[in-house]
Formats: sequence, C-alpha cells, structure tokens
Amino acid sequence: MFANVNILSQSSFGLNGYWGLSPNFNTPLYGYESNTSNYSHVRDWGFSFIYGVEFAKSTNSNIYSISLSKTLGNHNLSARFTPGYQKEFIFNTGESIVLEDSTSQSLTASVNYKELFGLGYSYEFSEDFSVGTTFRFFTQDFFEEIVTPVFEDSLIFFVRETKSEKVKFWKGDLGINYALNENLNFVFSSINLLNFGEKADNSDFKDLEIKREVGGMIGVNYLPIDAAAINLIYETTGSYQVAFNGYAGNLGFGMTLFHDKYQDPEIAGMIPTISYKGEIFELFVSGVKYFSNRKKEFGVSEFVQNGIYNVLNNPYSFDKVLLTVSFNINTAKERTVKLIDVEIVKDIYPTFSENFIDYPFAYGTAVNLTDEYLTVKPMARIKGVNEENIQSPVLAIAPHDTARVPFYIIIPESYSSEKVELSYADFYLFTIADKPDDQFQKAVLVNSINSWDGKVSNLRYFIKKDLDFSMSHAKAVLSSNKTVLDTLPIALESFYKAKILFNEYVENLVYISDPRATGEYVQFPHQTFELKGGDCDDLSVGYSSLLESVGIQTALVDYKANGKVRHVNLLFNTKLSPNQAKVLTNNDTKYFIRESVDGKDEIWLPVEATSLTDFKTAWKLGAEKFNKEAINELGIAKGKVNIVDIY
Amino acid sequence: MKTLLIILMFAGILSAQTFTVEKVSGDVKYQNGSSETWSALKIGMILKDDAVISTGQNSSVLLKGNKVNFNLNESSAVSVSSIKKMNIDELLLALAMEDMMNAPKEIRKSSDNTAVYGTKEGESTLQIKTDDFGIKRLNGAVQLAENSLEESAVIAAKETYRKYPYTKNLQSYRIYFANILNDKGLYEEALDEYVDIQKLKLTDEDRTEVNVKTESIKMKLLSK
Repeated sequence: MFANVNILSQSSFGLNGYWGLSPNFNTPLYGYESNTSNYSHVRDWGFSFIYGVEFAKSTNSNIYSISLSKTLGNHNLSARFTPGYQKEFIFNTGESIVLEDSTSQSLTASVNYKELFGLGYSYEFSEDFSVGTTFRFFTQDFFEEIVTPVFEDSLIFFVRETKSEKVKFWKGDLGINYALNENLNFVFSSINLLNFGEKADNSDFKDLEIKREVGGMIGVNYLPIDAAAINLIYETTGSYQVAFNGYAGNLGFGMTLFHDKYQDPEIAGMIPTISYKGEIFELFVSGVKYFSNRKKEFGVSEFVQNGIYNVLNNPYSFDKVLLTVSFNINTAKERTVKLIDVEIVKDIYPTFSENFIDYPFAYGTAVNLTDEYLTVKPMARIKGVNEENIQSPVLAIAPHDTARVPFYIIIPESYSSEKVELSYADFYLFTIADKPDDQFQKAVLVNSINSWDGKVSNLRYFIKKDLDFSMSHAKAVLSSNKTVLDTLPIALESFYKAKILFNEYVENLVYISDPRATGEYVQFPHQTFELKGGDCDDLSVGYSSLLESVGIQTALVDYKANGKVRHVNLLFNTKLSPNQAKVLTNNDTKYFIRESVDGKDEIWLPVEATSLTDFKTAWKLGAEKFNKEAINELGIAKGKVNIVDIY
Repeated sequence: MKTLLIILMFAGILSAQTFTVEKVSGDVKYQNGSSETWSALKIGMILKDDAVISTGQNSSVLLKGNKVNFNLNESSAVSVSSIKKMNIDELLLALAMEDMMNAPKEIRKSSDNTAVYGTKEGESTLQIKTDDFGIKRLNGAVQLAENSLEESAVIAAKETYRKYPYTKNLQSYRIYFANILNDKGLYEEALDEYVDIQKLKLTDEDRTEVNVKTESIKMKLLSK
C-alpha cells in the first residue's frame, strides 16, 4: 500500500520551545525531546501537566503529557505519561465495494503512532557535569480494510475483511550536560541510540514502521547576562532550533524558531512562550505556529512521497496553543546558601593536628540567596583522613551578602599514613536541614606523618605526639639513676635529670644528615631511637621530648639560614633562680635568664643536641652559639634567631 | 658622610673584634668562651670577643683594639664583646631583646600539655653565697660608659641586673645608667628605670634627683 515512508520518532522539538538548561525554570526540562539527559533543577518532587488545543478544522483539545520527577541526592528519576503524543492518519485505499442497494463504500486504511510514556534517570557528578538517560515507549497501530473473493457454485462473492497489527518498541538515549562556566553550557545527546521491541510481521506494514536512524545532537546555551539567554540545538539530520529567552523577575519570555529538514520554508515555524514562576509552581503558555499552509486533507501520494518524521511535528501538524503547569513540591528545603568557591590555604600535615584546630585549612566563599539573615554551619571532610564531617564554627550571613567561611579539620590521632597523597576535601554548608544546602570538592595534598613544612615552630607537634614513648623511656633512664637523683637538692633536679637523659640519649646515637634533601622529613623520638640517629631537627625533637615528658620546660632555638645552613638546637629551664647560678657554673655567659609566665626569672641552658659526646660539651657548644648569634649579634631582635617554646 | 658613619658603626657590631693586651697591673684574669676556669692575663695576649676579663683590687688592664682602646680599672669585669661602639637603634634592639627572651606570657589555648611544670617543696632551699662579681660587672659597665661606649654600657648593666639580681638594689648604679638613657633621649626606657628605682631605699638626695627626673620625663612625654 505505502512504500518507504520516512517516519522518524521525536527528536528535539518540544511543546514549550527550547530553553536550554534554563537556570530559572524547570518546566521545559520535562521535555525528553530536547532534554535527553533528564537534567533537572527539582530538589525534591516535581510535577508537570500540559494541556493543549490544536487548531484543526474542528478544534480539538487534549492532555499532552503528565510528568513526575523526584530528586534523591545526586540522582534524579522521572516518568512521563504522554496521551497526547500521537498522530493518526486515515487513508482511502482506492478500492470500494458496491452494496446490495447499489451504494458503494470505500475501503480505508489507518496508521496511528503513539508515544505512550517514558522514564528518565540522571546523575549529577558536580554542578558542572551530569549524565543521564531517557527511555520512551512507542506503539504503532496498523489497520487496513481489504476485500477477499470467495467462489461458491460458480458465483463469486466479495467478503469485506480487515487486517491489523500493533507493534510496540522502546527507544533509549544518553545525554551529557557540561557547564563550562556560569554563562556557557553544552548538551550532547544521542538520537535513537538504543532500540528494542517488536517489529511488524505483516509485510504491508513493515515499511510504515517508525524508522529509527541513529544520530546525535548538540545544544549550546549561552547567557551573556543573567536576564537573557541564547540557545541553539543542532541535530545531525540537519534540523536545528534557535531560541532567545529573557527573564524579568518572576516572568520569562521565549521565542524558538525551528528549521525542519522535512518541512518548508527554511524556518518552519516558531514557538513563542511566556512563563511565570511562583513559589511552588511554574506556568507556561506557549504556541506552535507554522509558516506553511496546514491542510486537514491531502492526497495519499503526497504522504507517500514526503512522509512524516515526527509524531508531534510534521507537515500535517496543526498550530497549537498549550498551557503547562508545573509544581515543585519540595518536602526538602530549598537551597538558601551557595558555596561559590573554596580556597585551600594550607596543605595537610597530619602531625600538626593542633594547628589545624586553631587555624582553618581552607576558606569558602558563600552567598546568602535569601532575604533573611542565615546561620550557616560549615563542615568539611578529607577523603582518607576523616570518616565523618568536621564542623567548623557557625556564622551568620546577611541577606544576599557574600561571606568568607573558614573550614577547620581535625586529624584523627590514629592517622598514621607514611605516604604523601593527593586526596579530595568535601566542603558542605548546612542551614537547618540535614541535607547540605551546597557542597564543593577540591583537591588537597595530604602529607605523611613525618612531613614537616620547615617551620621550626611546628616541630613542637613531633615533640608532643610522642610524649608517651618519651615518658616511658625517660622514666626508665631516671629510675636507673635513682640513687644519684635522691641525694641531690630538689632545686637541682631539673638540671641533673636533663644531664642524665642527655648522656644516655647520645650514647647510642649518631648524627645523620637528612637524606631527603629536598623534602622536609622529621623523625618522631621513637624513630630516632630505632634508627639510632638523625639530623639536628630529629635530635633536638628527641631530646626536647624526653625533657618535656618529665616536666622540664624546653624551647627550640631556630637559627635561620641567612645564607648558611639553617640550624636548630634547644634551651631548657633549670627552674633555678639567677642567685643560684653559681651552683651550675663559674661562667656567667653559659646561662640565660628568662622570665616565666608568673614573672619569675629562671635560668635556661642552651644545649647543642647534635653534639653527641656528652652533656658538658653540648651545653658549652650551645652556649657559645647562642651568645654569638642570638645575643652579641642581636639575632633575636633582628629576627635571625627565634626561640620557640614548646608549650 | 652621615650614611657612611652609620654603616661604619654597624660594621663595628657585625664584625668580631680582637684586642691585644697592652698593659697589665696587679691581679687581672680572663675566661675564654665557655671555660669554667680563670687564667692570668699577660701582656701581648690576644683576646677574642667571647672572652671575659676581670680585675682585682688595685689592678688594671689596657686593651688595644682596631677601633677602640679600653682601660679596665680595679674590681671590674667586662665581656670583650661589650667593648664596641653601638648606636641608639642597636641599643633599642638590645633592650627589646630582653622581653623577646622571656617565656610566652600565655600558655597556648589549644595546648594539650601533659607535662607538669610544677614546683616542689624545698626548691628554694638551695642557698648560694653571693659573691661580688655582679658589682664587678657593673663597674665594668661604668667604665664602658666612661670610654664613650654608653650604649654598650647600658646593655651590660641590664644583663647584670638580671643575672645578679642583688645588683638591682644598688641605687647609685641604677641612677647612673638610667641617666644615660635619659641623656640619650630614650625617655620611656629611662622612665621605666626611674619608676623602678623609686621603689628602692634611697637617700633623700637620690630620691629628689629621681623624682625630678621622673617628672621632667613625664612632662616631655606629655608634650610630645
């Protein structure tokens, strides 16, 4: 009956026109035709209903579609029932039968194409990138009246019969959305990528089946200003749409011009749209106006020659007016604050755990999207470091104001990775809901537990972290010298403890320069003992930790490089008053007076921990260096020598 | 010329200076670096800046350096490193260092210090007999001032007060060095000293002098 009719299923033509990934309205996104990737702005439940009137000779109305959308985290699911997505063609077959009353009756054939429903799924990897798929279910009803001759007793009877067939199939497509920035995003979609289902058995109907040629389309959405957008969508068939959208408060305006490979003129028609956005609903009034003459009746030969390619939009489609109502039924709270960017201000040094409690490791830039003051609860988590989100102090942001949000992190005591790793930090902003209003991910360098940033002030963390080991070791050493310590005046206890611990400390250690010349690496005290040595950082840290563990106050002395090799040694507090100095030394250049927190002057002694001979020599060398560089050359006042108290 | 002079003056502090012993009279000893022992000083010896020299009663020594000659009279002690010309800026830096040397005034809030820096009963029972080395140090500082090395003299005196606390009660020395600060125009530093001196037992004459100078400085500071 028909031969090789070009019937293709829906591509990008939609009843609301093309709006790209409109940042202000969600309604056009219910259209799988141009939104194959199932992209959605809905944060919870969404519902859409399209009712339209078609201006044929006898105006008829129809429910075109009913859609439902649900967002769960980064996932979005949608379903669409499309009773109005159908087109029926009735043909006169050219044959007729003459009835007994001499009247004749023409035989007819019909084809009814329907898209019944569809399902969609998408996953948002980030605000900039999402991937999704849609599957749509179609039916094709073929019907033809025929006359079959029957021979009986040399008479021929013609029996009127019908043949029909219903063919069902699914088609599925994939889509990707990528936003280069806030003003420019792209949509890439397949056309007829996946096809499965039935095929017509009747040879007369095979050629009438919807053809599903594989292709693709690309959409470009450009917002030169917040109030206007230019959108272009191009299909590999050669069809395209150009759309202009404008936004003014709650109102939106759209004008889509479409070129159709199978229709004349070049711009086959337009879809003007006006829209309004309320608190929970969106209202669209759109029209489809064709620029060519639309006929209700036409010749079969014309249909056979030209064919149709689209159930909704073809040379035999009529002008329409459509009303679309959508609801965003959010049981979840709408986003009230946006995290624009996050700046990582320092790499993670796991051993500096206290430092990360005191100072933020990152700052976010957050915007209050509402007309009210917001109390924002920032949280962060580093992959591989934290199992739970770490809350930073809450802060208030004024309406529509931008605020700098500090993010703190806690390094668990149990963290013990000896590898430097590039990890990711997730940043969240919460207001009142359990779900974050916004989140951001950024790469962060997580150093090993032995990594050091080169700041002597941060060596204190290596000292503190190993105090349990140091205390155990120091107590064992001092216990073996109990007899000596018991006979001493209590006032000299700190001095002699320091002396005994140092002499034992250096007995089995050697100075080893840091083999990791480019990277800063510091050993914990127990590692220095295990490895039987270390460089000046390691040895000073180890000795300081031993003293601190038995209650002797210490301070590291940072001799800054100044063209020479940077050096670290230490001072310790004898707790003796200046009047008692004579008991220690006859040389008043070997000790230094520091005022304690409670205003008492106390004698501190410098010790060169790399002098692995004995305490006497280490004290002598420490004193000479301190006198020369810290005192006589005014190193402390000039910032070339720095005293870093451990506590 | 002025710039050149300042550079030369800074050069004095930055480069270590050695002194040759020109003349020795009586009991003069020296101590090198961190040595615990004192040795007799002899003519022709060369002293580095880590040495300390000390004279007994009726003794003196004359040192000759590249830029400065220095005579140390009886019952005095001085570090060779102090025999140098300094300027006001360097003096201020050195005075500031005193505070910078001190332990932090506040224990860090986040500290999880498990160490105990406590005191035990009997700690102060260790009695050490006071010697006169602190007074020798102050005498040495006075002679630095008399040799036009006032800035070095003040620093030496301040260090002596801290290492030998009993010297803080010697009002005549305290007033002497406070006057140097006053004369140098370091009014705030001088005022701190005078206020501290007022707490000591003073003669009427000394108290009058200190009170007058204190009021004078206050007026000057108010008029600034």
